[in-house]
Amino acid sequence: MTLKLENVEVTIQAAPILRGVSFEMQAAERMGLVGRNGAGKTTVMRTITGLATLAGGKVFWDGTDISAMSPRDRAMLGFGYMPEDRRLVPDLTVEENMLLPAWVNPDIDGARGLAFVYDLMPELTKMSARKSLLLSGGQQKMVALGRALIAGRRLLLLDEPFEGVAPALAKRISEVITSLRSEGLAVLIAQSELSHSMELLQRECVIERGEIVKVSTVGQDTAAQPVG
Amino acid sequence: MTRSLTLSAAAAFVLLALGALVLPDWAMFLFAMALAKGLVCLGIVGMMRGGLVSFGQGLYYCLGAYTATLVANTFGVSDIFLLTVLSTGVCLAVGLAFGPLLASYRGIFFAMLSLALSMVLYGSLSKMSFIGGTDGLNIAAPTFLGWAPEGRALQTALYLYVAVMVVIAGTLMRIYFDSEQGLIALAARDNELRVEYLGASVRNVNTYSYVFGAVLGGIGGTIAVLALGHVDPEFAFWTTSGEFVFVAILAGYLSVPSVFVAAIILEMVRSFSNLYFPNTWQLALGIFLLIVIVVLPDGLGSLVRRRKGDAT
Repeated sequence: MTLKLENVEVTIQAAPILRGVSFEMQAAERMGLVGRNGAGKTTVMRTITGLATLAGGKVFWDGTDISAMSPRDRAMLGFGYMPEDRRLVPDLTVEENMLLPAWVNPDIDGARGLAFVYDLMPELTKMSARKSLLLSGGQQKMVALGRALIAGRRLLLLDEPFEGVAPALAKRISEVITSLRSEGLAVLIAQSELSHSMELLQRECVIERGEIVKVSTVGQDTAAQPVG
Repeated sequence: MTRSLTLSAAAAFVLLALGALVLPDWAMFLFAMALAKGLVCLGIVGMMRGGLVSFGQGLYYCLGAYTATLVANTFGVSDIFLLTVLSTGVCLAVGLAFGPLLASYRGIFFAMLSLALSMVLYGSLSKMSFIGGTDGLNIAAPTFLGWAPEGRALQTALYLYVAVMVVIAGTLMRIYFDSEQGLIALAARDNELRVEYLGASVRNVNTYSYVFGAVLGGIGGTIAVLALGHVDPEFAFWTTSGEFVFVAILAGYLSVPSVFVAAIILEMVRSFSNLYFPNTWQLALGIFLLIVIVVLPDGLGSLVRRRKGDAT
């Protein structure tokens, strides 16, 4: 399995947000997408999920061009997305929020997914019947991660998973992501800095002003590798 | 179906059935009409849960009423059950035809398109003199599986029939609202994009809601015409649809019983303000709606939610 972005261009209201973004990810790889605020990290995530419309370039999955595929169809491929602002349904309970992907995708075994998430994050069990609007920001982040884990059987896209989270909870989320290594999931994490994830990532991809300026192995300050 | 829902449905029927014993004739007619319209409004509430508001539910109200009348007058069918099934079937077919088209639209575009469809029906019926034109048509009193009641017995039977329909429709809609599809609609109302990237089709969810609305509109229209004994194109006019939206706003999207309570309140307010302020009853109605929006922005159903804490 490979995710490949090839010269991706995204324009929002005539402003170029992504300019010739290219990178590849392999199965079970954990990669960081690092950049300052406004660099285009979230737009890369939205491009992969199909929420952002391409102005140019292509997105490939397993060698197939999925550039024209709807977000719904991409979700069916096994993409799980945890947006930065969590986007839980306030009127649904924690469990219902996490089960949403299983309700719409017959390939997902909801009960199994839920058991997997509860096993990884036992603290969610206690709040399973609580409405998500009653949760703290950090708790909502864990629920959003749980939902992304149930939806993402092959690719997990995590947008700022540690942002605004208490250090203890950030450590916990980091542990959860680390424990996914054995699941064979590819994980792409967008972050402003790598302090929480140095040990859990294999590669980092630095983005500045909508352009990938460096792809390197984490911990090795190498010069920019050719991308695309 | 959970035990609490079964008990609630049974309690609702007993409460409504008691009305047949205690209500005077005029009030029983008023309640029957209010409940029939409440069924139409329940369809709008179903759409509201997905973030859509139909301003054209008069289409199905009118279609159901005309279908029942034409079938009764042309084929001599008077059985209320058969008439309900036939007119609901027609509304279901039309709903299935228009649903996928309208489900692609949101907000004001959905509202205006649904309104346009009902106004097309209104305009067409008004010009069709062979089915009464603007004068409409009369329909004979219905029979109930061969039983032909008259007077108070007829009114009671009709009232009980609408009560049964209200309980069945209300229970089924509650089950739908609490089902996975129903909860996805609620999620779509909050944020459509999120539902899409999780793999759900908002268009499908909206189509289901629209079709359910069409069916409920047909049932409501059939009962209304049998209670009134007359149908005319006004059933599809925009003011009729507006009235349904009024009730749906008054009820809110949180509770099923509140829809019927709101429908009864509206009928009462309208009847009494018409009686005491015959020239300014619309003003009284407008003030009433303003008060509701200010005091209960989420409708009567939010009273139940506040009481329960956080129930949906």
